[in-house]
Amino acid sequence: MSTTFQLNGETCRFDGDPMTPLIDLLRCQRFMTGTKAVCREGFCGACTVNVEGEPVLACLRPVGLLEGLSVMTIEGASRYDAEAQLLQAAFERVDAVQCGMCFPGMVMSLSKFLRETPRADRNAVKHAMVGNICRCTGYERIVDAVMECLAEAHSAGGADV
Amino acid sequence: MSEVERTIMNLPRRDAPDKLRGRTKYTNDRMDSTTLHAALLRSTVPAGRIARLDVSRALKCPGVRAVATAGDAPGLFGIGVADHPLFASDTIRYIGEPIAAVAAETLEQARAAIAAIELEVEPLAPVLTMEEALAPGARLVHENWRNYEILFEGGSRRGNIAWEAKAMRGDVDAAFARSDVRIVESTFRVGRQNHVPFEPRVAICSWEDDRAHIQTSTQVPWTVRNVTGRVMGLTPGRVRVTVPAVGGGFGLKFDATIEPITAVLARKTGRAVMLENSRFEEMTTCLCRENADIRIRSAVAADGEIVGREATVLMDCGAYGGEQIFLTTMTAHTLGGNYRLGAVRLTSRAIYTNTPPNGAFRACNGVYNTFALERHTDEICAELGFNPIEFRRRNVLGDGDLGATGQPFEGEVLRPMLDRMEGLREKVGSARERAAGRLYGRATTVGTWFIFVGPSSATVNLNADGSATLVTSGVEIGSGTMTQSLPQIVAGQLGLDPRDVIVKQADTDAAGLDVGVGGGRTTVSIGAASIEACVPIREKLLKTASEMLQTPPERLTLRNGRVEIAAVPGSGATVAEVVQRAQSISGPVTGTGSFTAKNVPAMAGCAMGHFIEAIDIPVFAVHDAEVAVDPETGHVEVLSYSVVQDVGRALNPLAIHGQVQGGVVQGLGYALHEEVTLGGEGEIRQSGFETYRLPLALDAVPVAIDLYEGAPSMGPLGTKGAGEVPILNTAATVACAVANATGRLVREIPLTPPRVLRILRDREPALPHPHISADWLQNTLD
Repeated sequence: MSTTFQLNGETCRFDGDPMTPLIDLLRCQRFMTGTKAVCREGFCGACTVNVEGEPVLACLRPVGLLEGLSVMTIEGASRYDAEAQLLQAAFERVDAVQCGMCFPGMVMSLSKFLRETPRADRNAVKHAMVGNICRCTGYERIVDAVMECLAEAHSAGGADV
Repeated sequence: MSEVERTIMNLPRRDAPDKLRGRTKYTNDRMDSTTLHAALLRSTVPAGRIARLDVSRALKCPGVRAVATAGDAPGLFGIGVADHPLFASDTIRYIGEPIAAVAAETLEQARAAIAAIELEVEPLAPVLTMEEALAPGARLVHENWRNYEILFEGGSRRGNIAWEAKAMRGDVDAAFARSDVRIVESTFRVGRQNHVPFEPRVAICSWEDDRAHIQTSTQVPWTVRNVTGRVMGLTPGRVRVTVPAVGGGFGLKFDATIEPITAVLARKTGRAVMLENSRFEEMTTCLCRENADIRIRSAVAADGEIVGREATVLMDCGAYGGEQIFLTTMTAHTLGGNYRLGAVRLTSRAIYTNTPPNGAFRACNGVYNTFALERHTDEICAELGFNPIEFRRRNVLGDGDLGATGQPFEGEVLRPMLDRMEGLREKVGSARERAAGRLYGRATTVGTWFIFVGPSSATVNLNADGSATLVTSGVEIGSGTMTQSLPQIVAGQLGLDPRDVIVKQADTDAAGLDVGVGGGRTTVSIGAASIEACVPIREKLLKTASEMLQTPPERLTLRNGRVEIAAVPGSGATVAEVVQRAQSISGPVTGTGSFTAKNVPAMAGCAMGHFIEAIDIPVFAVHDAEVAVDPETGHVEVLSYSVVQDVGRALNPLAIHGQVQGGVVQGLGYALHEEVTLGGEGEIRQSGFETYRLPLALDAVPVAIDLYEGAPSMGPLGTKGAGEVPILNTAATVACAVANATGRLVREIPLTPPRVLRILRDREPALPHPHISADWLQNTLD
């Protein structure tokens, strides 16, 4: 059985078990290792990708359910997604990154939040992050970076919710 | 501008751009279509004898290229005592113990072949708790413990006591017999904490030039080299270890049990083999921070002087001694630290049980001993009517005071840090109103960590383009030492921009010996070796430039990538020009340096069985927390958190603040909700993220931080390690604050809602600790 979808803007055809988790297709067959496999049980958020613009856990999403859809991974977002790039620059600036394994997923989760919630306070940012666990940083600096991005986006004329 | 001023800066991490874009290749990102995958047959019983092990069916399974068992790796390894086989051969000692390994074309094929292995085990009655292990007539976890090779002399051992270390100073009996003292006694128990670094333990080994080349996620490349050689019967020089970016360690990756298996399979197959723990395997064989039982007793005079103290600490090492044996050393400095003591005796015992082995975890041994010590201190204050902060101000270690093993402390540090905390508390203000009807408590605690320096080496090569390459066996585990402090140090010595200092990742073929990344030693130890490596380079640069510029060397300076006449900024030549000239005249511009501790040894006869003879660099911390306890639900909310940390000198304040914030939140997890429990067979029940509750963003608390600089340190440029210490007294501080909020004793952590409710309702069990005698001498061998 074959599944065809858009992967970072290019057509991707997969011939195999449609129940294969997307993360295995990405990491073990395409060797696209930007998407990290940490808990593989849908709790840590490290493997977050965007499907049709929505954050989705690649460890829980069977490839067969992607027919005709558009999938963006950290590799694609780093090239094409303005909010992801804004976040990446802010994380560098505030020295938020430590071991770094949770950050690709963190960027994928927060880029949508940044796009759609330009007026958030710190508490709202933390709520938006509860699906992305970080073992190293103690989170506060990640929130700092997101708040900086929100301030930038707002001064650039982001829409109010 | 001095070399110190040139070194201090908030240099951003160079590895962040790639990590943020998913371009960094961690070890588990390095498989390709030619890599074989390995899987392990692990024990499902906690104790037993292997009656039959037949792998012939597995060898015939599709895709299988090799199967390995104990016969392929007969050597035993360990720290202090060689008690640990790579695969169980005869005796099984814990659930999850490796028995055999398969390498196959795919992971699924490897797992299918594992299922085809025939194994018959005669179960034995397991020894699951330290109480059982110390009971008279207890079954021996290691029947032949007497026959093991001793790798470090000096400790006492017997039966299920894998190791015992002691610290003794002064006449403790006389102190307790004084008529003018009050005696306060406390008991404590702590459970295990799981590291959960995001990258699991993983290695890829290829067999190259009749040698093993292991790429691995480790903190200790030289240990991996030595252990792999030892178990395979190879000289360690036939093992090369390189270390890609490490996705977190926290002490877990001091282990060397995955790597030798890949080496055995690579030799058998001639192919690259990857072994990666599944998350289930990682959680259930994690080498947790050990569970421990503690009894502590003090004799305190009416004026608050602590004239005598004695304590026994039982550390559960699980099935093999491993790092616990080494960590028995720490008790003298963690439980015996913080306070000036008249006379003191401490014993620290690593106990074998049929449970998964425990290991080192950030501020290992110190986190729970500080919890016990600070709670005990508050119990003294409550019984004798002292103000806890004033009691600490009176009794903390000061200049010239002796530690438990008789080492004198240099400098007055903790007392001024307590003053600084008072200032920080005033600045931050009180969050008491946010308790809003809940029980409110606040506490300030002190902590003493010490950095074991140990040997490190460094080579610096200056390149013709004016850049420098730093070669060490250091590993970047996430703390930024390899990406921030070390390039800053080298750049400061050579007047370069730190972005022009290339740092070679650990490769045991290229770099000299290093004892690994942990305990806060990297910046200190590799930093000092790096500075020494720069000495001949500076000399050569200045000598060459002196001839080029016709100016005496003492009038030249290295700055901004140039060798300049000191009085004339912008004069002289670029470092690149001078290097090119030097290379043509006298060859490459290169230097090597090495470093190890020049420490303050223990007083003769005071320390027994200690792996570290001396305190190399004491590091102090003062923490303060406010909490609100919900009396209906038992939920503890941390309202504010403040840290004054002794860092010696902060080379990169931004990076250190990040370490403090991260360490405190990890400590809050330990204090409040990270709970590992063992099932009826000694298995770890929290086998995944669903059941092991890690701190989430909403659990995080912003930490108010004041870095205390200027305390004495033999570290380069006055530095001390900063990443280990922030977790040291988080559990202590939260526990003391909860005790103050509830007016009850807190003897155990984590302070989960059910435990807090039991505390509030006086239903938390007392801890009589029958396996720790009230007579201290009964708790020691010899």
